[in-house]
Amino acid sequence: MDRVALQANVLQANQEKAAENRSLFDGEGILAVNLMSAPGAGKTTLLESTIRALQGRYRLGVIEGDLQTELDSERIRTLGVPACQITTGTVCHLDARMLSRALADFPLPGLEILFIENVGNLICPAAYFLGEHLRVVICGVSEGAEKPKKYPVMFHKADVILLNKIDLAEACGVDLNDLRKNVRDVNPKAPVFELSCRTGQGMAAWLDWLGSAVGGRADAKRAAVSA
Amino acid sequence: MHELSIAENIIEISEAQARAQNSRQIRTIKLRLGQFTTIVGEALQFSFEIARRGTLAAEAVLEIENVPMVLRCDECGDAGENLREVCLICPRCGAPLHIVSGEEMQVEYIEID
Repeated sequence: MDRVALQANVLQANQEKAAENRSLFDGEGILAVNLMSAPGAGKTTLLESTIRALQGRYRLGVIEGDLQTELDSERIRTLGVPACQITTGTVCHLDARMLSRALADFPLPGLEILFIENVGNLICPAAYFLGEHLRVVICGVSEGAEKPKKYPVMFHKADVILLNKIDLAEACGVDLNDLRKNVRDVNPKAPVFELSCRTGQGMAAWLDWLGSAVGGRADAKRAAVSA
Repeated sequence: MHELSIAENIIEISEAQARAQNSRQIRTIKLRLGQFTTIVGEALQFSFEIARRGTLAAEAVLEIENVPMVLRCDECGDAGENLREVCLICPRCGAPLHIVSGEEMQVEYIEID
């Protein structure tokens, strides 16, 4: 019997595919944004509000992930934005290979932001890098103040955290200070925006932040071209 | 419930290496699994028993070494381990803590015939 040392990352195949996706985005100058949350946190509604606000300024595209149905991509297409649906069947997350297959048929050239709406799930999507530039985690305040502590890996890996449905906090008996503290405990560094995508409260700050992320990408692309 | 796809990845990686060594059978797969991942060892073992059927790992044992979550403060050097409730803010000086280990998901070695 022989022992063979490997020291191989279990997710290496996914990481390699994600790196390919990333070079595709970078080659096209696209900011890829991975939206993740529990089911019902308001991902699609937030995406609709974000699209309505940014539509005139940026060219947008959306890839939707769900276990079943094309409902979400249909919602996005009614806004006049190209959208494609990945139905995972029973798989509880998107992985880099599923995304890569969807990208092959997606009209990427000319886009500035590609939103990828992951399957509603606070566990598995945290493990699968898709090649995105930004990981956005959305938490509906009505889910309770303890959410970040119960799903620390997901919240920890976020580049930005959106606390949605802020208008419902009082009605749901959620102490926002507890929620803020729990977010900070698991992710001391990420910017946090408190908003309601239904009422529009707090949306401007999030949109400005996202706009500067797109601007940063454009600067990086110009620098790469002139270098 | 992505333990099954993780188990399949572990077997794919191990089989590829075993084939490269002209092995017919994998006896042991040693995995380092961090505490701060989304994978549960017990569920992974169960998934592994399903995923190994019909592969070079059909008779293999999956040995899981649990890697504790170790945190360190870059500001004041304070270190902590294995906290029950995750808090990544230094209890001594309030700076963000750095994760030293606990995020591993690595096939360390295989034993083959």
